Amino acid sequence: MQSVMMKSKTACLLILLSLFFAGIEVNGQEQEERDLLLLQQKALAKKIETLRREQDFLLFEKALYATDSKYLIINLRTKKGQLKYQNRVLKDFRFTASASLANGVLKTGALTLTRKKEDPGQKHVLLFGRSLVIQWQRPARSPYAANAPRLSLTQGDLQSIFYAVEEGTRAYVVR
Amino acid sequence: MQTRKKVILAGLLFSCCVMTPSSARAEEAAKPGTIDALRDQTRAMEQETAALEEENRGLRKMLKDMDDGDIYLVVDTESNRLTMRQGNRILLTAVVGTGSRQFVKEETGRNWYFESPTGALTVLGKERNPVWIRPDWSYVEENMPVPPVDDPDRIVRGVLGKYALILGNGYKIHGTKFTDLLGTHFTHGCISVGDEDLEKLYRTVKIGTKVYIY
Repeated sequence: MQSVMMKSKTACLLILLSLFFAGIEVNGQEQEERDLLLLQQKALAKKIETLRREQDFLLFEKALYATDSKYLIINLRTKKGQLKYQNRVLKDFRFTASASLANGVLKTGALTLTRKKEDPGQKHVLLFGRSLVIQWQRPARSPYAANAPRLSLTQGDLQSIFYAVEEGTRAYVVR
Repeated sequence: MQTRKKVILAGLLFSCCVMTPSSARAEEAAKPGTIDALRDQTRAMEQETAALEEENRGLRKMLKDMDDGDIYLVVDTESNRLTMRQGNRILLTAVVGTGSRQFVKEETGRNWYFESPTGALTVLGKERNPVWIRPDWSYVEENMPVPPVDDPDRIVRGVLGKYALILGNGYKIHGTKFTDLLGTHFTHGCISVGDEDLEKLYRTVKIGTKVYIY
């Protein structure tokens, strides 16, 4: 009788121990999966953000292809820009960017030209609200939107673009 | 009696360890931050990524299909440059002459402003050895009496170069004798091009080619 009780005690103990260790293993695997899922989500969130940005740009171009307006594409990474009309490139230009642009102050996306300013000294300035100023390379300081990020173009390029665009012209900033 | 207690205790422990995870699973799924919720979120994000990729592919294709790959001309009247382009490629850059932006006024009150037309134009025709039919302003500009419309004196040969691309409303892309003035605003609205560039344009451009002047 006693040996039977001993046997059942041992059996119970073994069952409990195996269940205990199985539980630990399950918890460990779950934590591993959780970490993996979180990593995956992080990567997916980044990809979604990139795809959304790309889609925003593609939708911008699609919309502008159907209009009768010229527009600007400004690539901050390559420091190159384009003046476009529908799906045609009218002009390529290069620019230098102010330090604030390098700090990522200017977000990617669409901007609207709010003001064209032509000073008596033939200094042309294009103002996109307080978000961006496009100016001639020469002036170190400009009275317009003093703290706004700036792009500087050669006088010839700026002059060509200045007379090609009008207030309300759209621009798209890409990185 | 003691044995029975132990068996019951063991049974309870067993049910705690084995039954709890499975019975609580449904409840767990609803809680944010649980493993099932994480799996669901990840699946949703994967679906969103796939949907965005698909949409962007469609948009890219649509935009690409809208690009016919045709050659087109662009005239920048500020810098007096003409470029022949195909997509993002520049096939030719030429220094040209564009409208002088000058007024000419006749005593009778008629006046003319010599500016190149802007906008999207089309090459409507191509000419070899084009002939210039002197318009009224040409006589007014030189303080000469304006002859009748059909006066043969109006026909002038050899001043527009070897070729001309007709843009309509009297405007053309043509050659010039005043090659020193290329790069400036000196014409009466037409686009003047040097001989070599004009020949390239004439040989490449077809009737129907788009010309964007700004």
